[in-house]
Amino acid sequence: MLLLQGLLIATALSLARMFSAYIISLLLAISVGSWMARSRAVESLLLPVLDVLQSIPILGFFPAALLLLARLLPGGLGLELAAVFLIVTSLVWNMIFGVYTSLKALDPSVYDMAEVYRLGPAARFFFIYVPACRESIIANSLVSWAGGWFFLTSAEVLSLGEEEYRLRGIGSLILDSFSREDLAGFYSGVAVLLAAILATYLLLWNPAAVTVLRLPLPGVPAVFEVVKSAVGYAWGGLAQVLTSLEVKLGVVFRLPRPIKAALLLLAAAAVAYSARGLSLEPLKEAAPVLSSFPLELAKSLPRVGLVLLLSLGLSVMIAYFAHLSRGVSMAVSIAGEVLASIPAVVWWPLLSNLALSHPLGPSVVMLIVYLQGAFWYVYFNLIVYGLASMRKDLDELAMVYRVKGLPYLRYVFVPSLLPSLATGLLSAWGGSWNASIVAEYVDIGGRTFDMQGVGSLISKAAAQGNVAALLATSLALSLFIVLVNKTLWVRLFRFIERRYGGE
Amino acid sequence: MPKVLTISNLRKTFIEDKRVLEVLAGISLEVGEEFISILGPSGCGKTTLLRIIAGLEKADSGEVVFHTPDKRVGFVFQSPTLLPWLTVLENVALPLRASGVRRDEAYEKARKYLSLVGLRAFEDFYPRELSGGMKQRVNIARALAVEPTLLLMDEPFSQLDPLTAESLRSEVLDLWLYGVTTVRAIIMVTHNVDEAILMSDRIVVLSPRPAKVNEIIEVNLPRPRDRRSPEFQKLEDRIYELISA
Repeated sequence: MLLLQGLLIATALSLARMFSAYIISLLLAISVGSWMARSRAVESLLLPVLDVLQSIPILGFFPAALLLLARLLPGGLGLELAAVFLIVTSLVWNMIFGVYTSLKALDPSVYDMAEVYRLGPAARFFFIYVPACRESIIANSLVSWAGGWFFLTSAEVLSLGEEEYRLRGIGSLILDSFSREDLAGFYSGVAVLLAAILATYLLLWNPAAVTVLRLPLPGVPAVFEVVKSAVGYAWGGLAQVLTSLEVKLGVVFRLPRPIKAALLLLAAAAVAYSARGLSLEPLKEAAPVLSSFPLELAKSLPRVGLVLLLSLGLSVMIAYFAHLSRGVSMAVSIAGEVLASIPAVVWWPLLSNLALSHPLGPSVVMLIVYLQGAFWYVYFNLIVYGLASMRKDLDELAMVYRVKGLPYLRYVFVPSLLPSLATGLLSAWGGSWNASIVAEYVDIGGRTFDMQGVGSLISKAAAQGNVAALLATSLALSLFIVLVNKTLWVRLFRFIERRYGGE
Repeated sequence: MPKVLTISNLRKTFIEDKRVLEVLAGISLEVGEEFISILGPSGCGKTTLLRIIAGLEKADSGEVVFHTPDKRVGFVFQSPTLLPWLTVLENVALPLRASGVRRDEAYEKARKYLSLVGLRAFEDFYPRELSGGMKQRVNIARALAVEPTLLLMDEPFSQLDPLTAESLRSEVLDLWLYGVTTVRAIIMVTHNVDEAILMSDRIVVLSPRPAKVNEIIEVNLPRPRDRRSPEFQKLEDRIYELISA
């Protein structure tokens, strides 16, 4: 009884963290995304920053940010905030990009219409901006929600050297049970976690995706309908109040240019200031660790390559079968949603028997965790966006001329999916480096698995409490990733856009 | 005839890739209570002129002065420009709600103008469920629902199939001639000579870019106009000559 109670409370706390992080991310995404789409200055400032932020190994910067917040704010509040902040960083980037791109893709005559009929900022926000990005918000929420769970344990259990913080939640409960060798607690924890993830998808996200995106996903719409009408009422009321307020006040909501410029400058100054604080850390301790960075990078790079290849092959195969059969598609989607959400750190204890029983065991488990951090980006992009955007007439063409099997895959199926495949692979590339931090080194229940590599380097720096080395290696890795993005990926994208983008 | 609008000496230059592109080279026009068509070769700056009158763009010099106390403008876009997430009724009511009209009052008014264009029964439909002609009707109803003094139309029939375009032309003419709306002047941009003669009181023929007023032609044919009448044909030939010159 006590076990069950503990489990339920822990799950409720974790869910509360996830939902607060999601709501914060949603508000951030809408406001930042629409601001970027509207203002050229903001766009040119934030686009490269976000580009970097979404592809760097966030996990590497976690401990430092967490400790800072925990020290600044008293008691549990700082820790709670830090945990929510961490989850936000794993949810928010693709959501911002989704809002930004869907507003950019809006027919420019819509803006003319808003101008001719003098829609104020509030009216535009409620009647144009938010509804225009509804679809991309839902689509990205499906992916983000899984990403949030994946890093949940990292947010609930955090150690930097001797300092260790724990928040009560299902993630920390699972890890604690495992360390105490309480197997009943461990397995029931994992079961409850899976049930909670499954429930959120079946009750909320899948019905939302069915309603808004018309995707074939399994779900129970009753709860979503209630949430939808409640949110709809509140939202409609807010729209009514703010638009009429806007008309009464004149256009006071529009900030004058100098104030906007001052705000931007202030933000830039704040970023510069905090960056200066970081660079003041003693860098001497970082030097020896940093010198081994190239070698460790060379160890991790083939792993990442293998993981990307596996993700590509598996996703295309699954997408193909899902495309052939609606039943397979439903089953595969829900399985994907749950599996993708299983926190990274849980995989090691879950598969510890495998890891210990065979000399190659640890490598296999490492690969699985790696895949967890990468595969799902490709998979979701294909299943959610790719298949939905496949052109029916091409399929009919293939049917009429009996193009089947391998020629179908090669000339119709894969080329149709290439744009979403490329987007997925780019995210998976960033994601797999992030996953390397939890995949290559783990210290659990008194046992340590060290697989070497750059992720292991970062993890070990965190375990030793060497903040300078931690930041230096994370920065170096970020630099490498951004460099590859700007040289290799950009070219690949341009090529695909030219050859396989629309007509 | 009471004056509605005076356009005096509008000039507009675009700068594109460091190339200076003069679009309007001093356009002046008096607009009374009438239906005016602006006709000219493609790319001559017709739409730019319309956008300046609507306040969507600023002229480099010159001005647009209303002589009526009410300066409200309705704009019929070339493509319907309806928001896909709003119903027909909500689309028509949106400009009213944005200007602070209460919700039910805005819907009331929107329904009135939807009836005028024959779409009252479709108020709960979404744009994607309508045909091209119906969407363009919603576009017109939205422009009329703000109860404008001046109605601007940017090639409103150019994206419709010929049959739909023809019936919509006569509907717009009926609304205009019976005076059931608040509109006191219409300015329509078109490159369709036949359409301009059929509908308007005066036709302003613009020169190729940079646009100047080439000639203003009074259309004194009795309504309803007959395309096959010799007067209609003669006028059409004359305008074609003007444009191709």
